[in-house]
This record gives sequence, structure tokens and C-alpha cells, in this order.
Amino acid sequence: MKPFYYLLVGGLSWLLLQACREQYEAPIPYEFSGQTGSGRFTAPVRQAMEGVYTVSDGVGEFGAQVALKWTYVLNGADTTHYLSIFSGNEAGFFNLENDRSVDSLVVRGYWRKLVNTDTGLARLALRTRRNGELQRFTGTLAVGDTLVLEGSYGTGNANPDQPLTLTYNRPLNPRPFAILAHRSGGRTSDLLSVSENSLNMIRLASRLGATGIEIDIKFTKDGVPILYHDNLLNLRLIQKNGLEGPVEEYTYQQLNTLVRLVNGEKIPTLEEALETVLTSTTLNFVWLDTKYDGPMDRVQAIQQRFRQRAIASRRDLRIVIGLPTTQAADAYRALANKENTPVLSELDTAITRSLDARIWAPRWTLGPQIEQVRAMQAEGRTVFVWTLDEPKFIEQFIQESNFDGILSNYSPLVAYYHYVDQ
Amino acid sequence: MWTNKQTRLRLFLLLLTAAGASWTAHAQTTSTTDSVTNRRDPYALVLTVGGGLSYYPAFIGVPPDVDQVAINRSGIPATVRLMWHPDHRLRIGLESGLTPLYRYRVSAAGEQARVAVSTIPVLVVFSMPLAWLSGTERSLARRLSVSGGTGAYIIRSDLSYLGDVNASRLSIGWMAAGAYTQPIGRRFRIATELKWYSITATSDAVFTLQLQAVWRAFTW
Repeated sequence: MKPFYYLLVGGLSWLLLQACREQYEAPIPYEFSGQTGSGRFTAPVRQAMEGVYTVSDGVGEFGAQVALKWTYVLNGADTTHYLSIFSGNEAGFFNLENDRSVDSLVVRGYWRKLVNTDTGLARLALRTRRNGELQRFTGTLAVGDTLVLEGSYGTGNANPDQPLTLTYNRPLNPRPFAILAHRSGGRTSDLLSVSENSLNMIRLASRLGATGIEIDIKFTKDGVPILYHDNLLNLRLIQKNGLEGPVEEYTYQQLNTLVRLVNGEKIPTLEEALETVLTSTTLNFVWLDTKYDGPMDRVQAIQQRFRQRAIASRRDLRIVIGLPTTQAADAYRALANKENTPVLSELDTAITRSLDARIWAPRWTLGPQIEQVRAMQAEGRTVFVWTLDEPKFIEQFIQESNFDGILSNYSPLVAYYHYVDQ
Repeated sequence: MWTNKQTRLRLFLLLLTAAGASWTAHAQTTSTTDSVTNRRDPYALVLTVGGGLSYYPAFIGVPPDVDQVAINRSGIPATVRLMWHPDHRLRIGLESGLTPLYRYRVSAAGEQARVAVSTIPVLVVFSMPLAWLSGTERSLARRLSVSGGTGAYIIRSDLSYLGDVNASRLSIGWMAAGAYTQPIGRRFRIATELKWYSITATSDAVFTLQLQAVWRAFTW
């Protein structure tokens, strides 16, 4: 019997170890060329392409309709354009660039679903349907022509072999609406290719559908405001390096030298983050979520400096300081000069009014709060809701046209429901 | 080998059921089981103190963009354990101590940076001699024991780079160990133990090989 028992103990130990090692990953199967410009996708073509499309091939994977929108990032004087496709299925999105290797209007890239690890390659060619026949799109649409994106998608690294056909249906919903991405674009835990609260995530945010971002502010031991969400250095946010404990116990130089975020980025300072927003993106809203206790004057100074720069460069950009707690509200009240310091209050309506906050942002679990929302809007305030990731409620809140914007970890999903709303 | 987690879980449950059934059958066929005898043997509190060598086999994340990297994965751990030895073979107790995990030294921007990580386990430990596998009180299996435990780990992190930071955090974790104990007197024994600490929150794991003094401190 002895060998059996030894085998049993060994087997159980091995199985226990194996069971503990499950790891989830969703590596991007596509490498972007990073070439600047938009190739053959000229501004009129890009403008014509944006809209809600009906999905014929690929309904099972991406739903009956999708929303297409072009975005771009800036690198100095260079502009790089990307095509995003937002799906209502499992927070799915496509991230595509123009394919310069072919002599036609083709985009290629990858798709991903944020609620799981599903991802794959995609390649789509832009055509026009005229008299029932697909033709190459020359850049101008005649009466009766319909744009069609035809191509294929695959799973993982496999070559795309599943047909995907998108047919233009109608323009995007033009109603102004703030699509605010949590943690500068998305969560590290959603297995995005870049880390939350990083400069790379800020650059990615627009491609995920965001028109604005929320970033988390903490201070280092030597008083440098940085972007970091949690109280502790931990493996959820940073690569293993042996450093533990509260982030506030480390100086900026120590963090900058020894700490890397999960996907290899450095922890950015607030100034680096706002510089990136201002000079590299088209984002028009930044919500500074104050995740610290203490005076607000340093954050205010940075906010005001970048506000001035945005005005000087004629950039449509609002930078507001979030007040999530009564301590933060007190810190705001203690500021010597509150001029040109817009704040966003997450507290109740009475406190929000007493602070004269121009933006009220209640937690979504409090419900639609239609009367309070209407009252605050009637007083000229903007009302956002946070942090809403439930597809059913995102759809409901958008259809009710109650809030002026939604903060979500799934900005592609908010973008989808907003743009397809009629 | 296994295709998914579910398959592994099923196999695990199957083996667990087989083990339980086999153990029960074994107990039923043995006439002198310890826990049902009328006369209860003395209980004892046994104090174990040990030290030895540790080796950290897990991944160490030395930051990029640094020079002159020197990593030390070994250290000298110390353990203290207090166990209750009842009149049956499953023993329970508490374990603590100090175990170095790893240290590294790098040069960054012309400055030396030193990081040392260690842990203080505070664990509930279960231990059992292997005699139930084979036989008599004098057998080798009687002197071999396996231990398992779970509880908290205090992970200490000491950084020296443009100032010192001494930080710590808590994590849950577990341990597994195997030991051989050699009697050298009525109350004293010497043991050697190979132990595996696993710390969940920081993905740390460490082997230790220790020489231990075992003292039957109190008997009643």
C-alpha cells in the first residue's frame, strides 16, 4: 500500500500547485506600425466612414450593430489616426490602423472583449455598394451608395478567416455626452496592453471610446503628485520588485528608479499626465480624483497652469478637481483662492451646492435620481455618474438622457450605447 | 498535461475521495486506533527552535534600466514553533520566526540601491508523523513527519536608496514541511526539516532547510 499513499500525496500536492497557477492573459495579437498620418483615409473618407453599421457576417461575435469612429494621437507635429469599432457584445472593441501595404482602403489591427480574454486579428476593406454590387470606394459617395466594410476576423494569433461585414446604417448619435474612462482609460485588471494610470493608457483612451479620463492622484513622500490608485504598492498595479507598503512612504526618485507598472511603464507625475493629455490626445475632460488627505494647493497650481496652457493653445480641455470625501471638500474650502478652480463633487447635493461645484457626480448605485439630477442641471450644473460598468444600466441611463456623462471602466461599451442611441 | 482547471479540479476531488475512503477503511481494520482507546495518554507541549539556510526560487523583479545587479537568493532563517502533542497523531500548534526571502543591489543614476525582503510567518500548523502509513512506533515512519499550515505573513521590505524606507505588509499564505526527528533523550530531540513557505499577496515562496532542537517542555 505504501507506494499508493506516496503517489497519492505527491499527486495531490502537484494538483494543488497546478490549481493555484491559473493566470489570465490577453496579449494583443497585432503590432501597430506606428506610422504617422492616415494614408489613403483622407479626412473626407474618415468623416464619411464614421457611423453606426449593421453587422451581417459576425453577428454572433460582435452583435447586430457596431459604431465606427476615427481618433488620433499626436506626437509633436505628427498625427496618427486609428479606427475604433465599438460593439455592444461583452464590451468589445476594434483597434485598427490603415494598412499601407496595399493599394486600397484597408484597415487592420485587433479586436478585444474587455469582460473576458477574447481577442484576435481583424482586417477590413472599405467598399461601396452601388446597385447591389460591391466596388472599390474612390472617396466620394454617389446618391444611393452605401459604405461597406468587408473583411475577416480571427481568434488569437490565427490568421483572420471568419467573415465580417459591416454595412453603414446611420450617423453616430450627435448628442453631446461625456464618455469618461476610469483610471486614465481602463483597468490593469482588464488585461489591457498598457497599465492603468500610465501615460500610455492616456494615449490609448480615445481609441477605447473615451472623450475624457479620470486619474487618481497621490503624493510621494517628497510631495510630488503622481498617478496611482491603491494605497499600497502591490502586484495588482506594479511589477514585482521587493518594495512594499504605502506609496506615500517613497520619494519620487525612489519610485521613478525602482518601480514599474504592470506593463513596464513608470509611475507618471500629475504634470506628465496633463502634458500628455494636452499635447498628445484629443481628450477634452480630465477628472483629478484626489486619493490623498491634505492640502490641495499644489494640485490646484498644476491644474491652473495646464488650464492656462489649454486656453493659450485653444484646446477644448477642462481639468477639474474631484472631491470624493468631506476631507477633500474641506481641503478645497481651505484654498486661499478658488478662482478658476473647477471642482467635481461626489458628495450629496447640499454639499455640492455649498461648494458651488459645477459638476455633481453621484455613485451610480444610487439610481437615476431623476429629480435631483434635473434640479442640478436646471441650476447649470453638469451631472456625471460613476463608476458604471453594467451594460444594462449603461444602456438605460443613456436612453433616459438623464446624465451628462458616464464614468466607466468599459468606455467602449459606453461609447457603443451612446453612439447607437437614436 | 491537463487541458483546463475544471479537469484538474475533478481529478483532485476524485483523488481526495479515494484517499478518504482508503484511510477510513484502514482505520476500521486497525484494532488499536489511538483516538478511541479508553486510557488517554499524556498530552505535551513541545517547543521547537531551529535555524538553517533558506533559498528563494521564485521570480525576482529587479527593475529595468539599472546597472551592476547583484542578487542574493539565500539567507539564514530562524523558526520557533510551539506544538500541542495530544494522544493521537494529529498535532496542532503555532509557528513564527524570521526568514529572509531575497536581497538585491543595483546601481541607478550613480547611486547604490539595496533592497532586502524578509518575512515573519505567524501560522497555525498541523503536523502528523507518518506512522499511520506503515506500522510500528519504532519505525522510520514514526520519526518522519509532515506538516502543513496556514496563516499570516508579515512581509518586510527594506530599501536603501537616496534614503531608507522600511515598510511592511500583511498577506495570507501557507506552508508545507517534512521533518525527520531523532530522539536523544527523554525530553530532547534533534530534527531536520525541509520547509516551503508560500506567500500569496506578493507571490513569494521560499525553501528552508533547518536543524531544530525539539524540547518536550511540559507534559500532563
